[in-house]
Amino acid sequence: MKFTRSWLEEYIDISVSTDDLCHQLTMAGLEVDEIIKIDNDFLIDVDLTPNRSDCLSVYGIARELNSINNNFKLKSNKNIKVIPSCQSHQLKINIEEKNVCPIFSYMSLENLNSSFEAPSYITNRLNQIGIKLVHPIVDILNYIMIDIGQPMHAYDADIINGSISLGFAKKNKSFKALDGNEYKLTSKNFIISDSDNVLSLAGIIGSEHSAVSKKTKNIIIESAFFNPDFISNKARDLKLHTESSHRFERGVDFELSTKALRKFSEIIGSNKACNFSEIISVNNSDYLPKKNKVQIDFKKINEVIGISLKNNDVINILKSIGCVFNKKDNTVINPSYRFDLNIHSDYIEEVARLYGYDNIPSNPENINISLSSKYLPRNVINHIKNFLYNSGFSECINYSFVGDNEFENMNWKNENFNNHYKISNYMSLDQSKLRSNLTGSLIKNIEYNSNVNSENSYRFFEVSNVYGANIEQILTCLVSGERHDESWAIKSPKFDKYDMNSIAEDIASMFAIEKHKLNYSIKGHTFNKKKYISLSLSITDLINFLDRNKNEEKFENYSKLPNIRRDLSFLIDSNISYDSLIKKIKEINVHSLKKILLFDLYVGKNIPEDKKSLGMGFIFQEKNKTLTHDEVDVFMNSIIDKLQKKFNIQLRK
Amino acid sequence: MSVDKLKKDLDKVLDEALKLITNVNNHTDLENFRVQFLGKKSILNGLMKSLSDLAPEDKAKAGKDLNLVKKKINDFINDKKISLDVTTDDDLDAFDSSMPGKLSSLGSLHPITKIMNEAIDIFQSLKFEYVDGPEVEDEFHNFTALNIPESHPARAMHDTFYLENKNLLLRTHTSSVQIRTMSKKRPPLRIIAPGKVYRKDSDITHTPMFHQIEGLYIDENVSFANLKSTINIFLKSFFEKDDLKIRFRPSYFPFTEPSAEVDIEYYDNKGNKKWLEILGCGMVHPNVLTMANIDCEKYSGYAFGLGVERLAMLKLGITDLRLFYENDLRFLKQFQRV
Repeated sequence: MKFTRSWLEEYIDISVSTDDLCHQLTMAGLEVDEIIKIDNDFLIDVDLTPNRSDCLSVYGIARELNSINNNFKLKSNKNIKVIPSCQSHQLKINIEEKNVCPIFSYMSLENLNSSFEAPSYITNRLNQIGIKLVHPIVDILNYIMIDIGQPMHAYDADIINGSISLGFAKKNKSFKALDGNEYKLTSKNFIISDSDNVLSLAGIIGSEHSAVSKKTKNIIIESAFFNPDFISNKARDLKLHTESSHRFERGVDFELSTKALRKFSEIIGSNKACNFSEIISVNNSDYLPKKNKVQIDFKKINEVIGISLKNNDVINILKSIGCVFNKKDNTVINPSYRFDLNIHSDYIEEVARLYGYDNIPSNPENINISLSSKYLPRNVINHIKNFLYNSGFSECINYSFVGDNEFENMNWKNENFNNHYKISNYMSLDQSKLRSNLTGSLIKNIEYNSNVNSENSYRFFEVSNVYGANIEQILTCLVSGERHDESWAIKSPKFDKYDMNSIAEDIASMFAIEKHKLNYSIKGHTFNKKKYISLSLSITDLINFLDRNKNEEKFENYSKLPNIRRDLSFLIDSNISYDSLIKKIKEINVHSLKKILLFDLYVGKNIPEDKKSLGMGFIFQEKNKTLTHDEVDVFMNSIIDKLQKKFNIQLRK
Repeated sequence: MSVDKLKKDLDKVLDEALKLITNVNNHTDLENFRVQFLGKKSILNGLMKSLSDLAPEDKAKAGKDLNLVKKKINDFINDKKISLDVTTDDDLDAFDSSMPGKLSSLGSLHPITKIMNEAIDIFQSLKFEYVDGPEVEDEFHNFTALNIPESHPARAMHDTFYLENKNLLLRTHTSSVQIRTMSKKRPPLRIIAPGKVYRKDSDITHTPMFHQIEGLYIDENVSFANLKSTINIFLKSFFEKDDLKIRFRPSYFPFTEPSAEVDIEYYDNKGNKKWLEILGCGMVHPNVLTMANIDCEKYSGYAFGLGVERLAMLKLGITDLRLFYENDLRFLKQFQRV
């Protein structure tokens, strides 16, 4: 809502600087966005919240200022007497839905002087606040709307044919508005029509063909009250927004409908623009919004705000905003321009607001409740993030939506997935569905970075929800290039999948669970000739697992007796997994076998193509006795025997 | 020779050894030291021989004293040896401590994560419980239960992403978690819910996805004055500034009443004092409590919502919102410190 200080001063005495004035408005909830100095005046832009339609006019702002600060006195403006100079058109008006339009007022203009121009104070003010001039009569109507808050409409009277009806549109009826656009109406749109045509979309916009133009001689001015419940969203549904719809959908004071026409007659009459008629008003007051009677609970007001106001102070605040207070039963009735005062908390808010938020104390609460602080999910995620940070990874955050590219058609385990959550009103195709994995986003991040700052090593990760067959929170680490940043001391090897295995292992160890209990997947990818390796892991599953299996950290006594290590090198079919090997060895159940380690893996030269060479170390130890070499020989033989039988291993010398 | 005399001699030897060992700077000196104090011709060795002159009842005691001194001198020699070995290491003489190390292995945490953690830590210390909620929501939890009926003009304030065929949407605020929490638990409730939110908006000051932290406290006799206190404590500790200027300004949200926006005072790059909006909050609207089956006569509560990007930009001096989602290493690596 834009207005100038001088315009406002027509209604109220302002004894303070513009900055001070704007501060007071802001602190009462009418946030001043901008103050611009123009000539000897100030242009003020107030960012109004949607509940305060009563302030969508200069007069409304003045009225509000008066309740904010008693020192600002409203001026009493005298009416100018003007005498109607013609008969009104006798319109036959049929309001089909009286609850939508309880008041329909109008007047007629005849013989508009084609050289008539709106008074310069009007055009100047409209210019200052950025409202385009279109037609002298329309300009005056716009001026009155900004001035006191009533939207009105001018129809070319010579176009109107037959009786006027107000009702809901027939489905799919199309309507050409005066903005030049064609709109498809629905049965929720409330329209005003004559016997042939739609004249306007009530409270929103008029039709093109009934609009006034330079040639128009005779005009009908409409000033109605439309119930906000039926106007709200209708303009938005049609992607329309007008000064009129903005006001009607928030609520216009129904007492303004004839006031506004009177004001209009004054301007027209004193400028001798044309002949004008009496005001005719079709009034179905039974259908007007009911005023609300609310019983005031003084104790509750003080409790909720945290202050101790006397009853009289509360009553004075309520009276200052135009409410009628009844001392007998402590009830309050809202003024017709306050559509936002319906229930008791609405009045608590008014008391708090006008008492001043700044004056409300700051009192810490006594929390004497025991709360289970369940920070498990957050702790798990933070431990993982910190571990990756310490391991040289940089965290990324990407948008949750993606478009179509080869990496989006996978779930996070890199299996085909096409049943995406799709956004129906996406902004662009590349943001049209929710991502089912994080790999695609991270590949894009590395691609982007290799274009702007080339590195030899990229190590990224992200933790986010993914939307596959299930909604899960996952971690994805994506690496490319060499394992470390360039260094003078170390020729860094390229990343391989085993690097990702270590990460999975470390994460498992961090939470004292076995790696195979993690739900994870390690994959290699090629994109634009660049190679990537990803590790993805379900955080949701990890958290659920930890939640179900509380394993406390406990010390376990260890043997101080010497251990014996035996190494074994052998060839084995390359398709046999390390895991199955370990499982078999454990099946033998050698009590003394404390640890197995892998110290060598070799494939290539000098060994058959379908074989791999493994070097494994076995460490034996007992708690209560020192093992002899003979005993360990027996253990080793049983291990070798089992592996030979099961996997046909060939020992190497 | 008496026991007393022996004791005196031993003390003298120990004092002398203690004095001399400090002057030993190389292995040769150390060997000389060893010969002087432990060698065949040393005083200690002489004393050892004189033990036989002692009365048998004193012998054991005197022998013990003597061995103790011997052990101490031996310790001097061993300690010195270690320190000599270290300082004469030739490799280390060539060490240039100003050289870069072999590997630096620190990555970086995203500034959103860092700022979010800082904020959550403060709320945790104020005894707020951590709660997660879904990003894909239904209209009930995102709008209806928050007192935003379909016809409400406030729905125009949120331009919402809707999902195809599923009657679902991407949550426009973390306030939906309030509803999910209230449907599961009874008051007293004291929660924070951080997370991603989505609005159909993209320009210099808006990204279609951003982060919020929602707070909710419901109990008997919760007041606006309590809300002010919590927000004041939070903002002052977050910005680490005890004299931070904070103002509460009336505003409007459908799910709170009274509602407030909170501004903090800051200086722009021209040095002008400005107020900057930092969060929205208010007393939970009785309609919201009633819809969640909480008796609004008995209970009251406050709620607040913080924009994480806004906090991060202010605290870290970031001026372009879009930087957060470009994931450029030149940006990310600036947030390497813990």
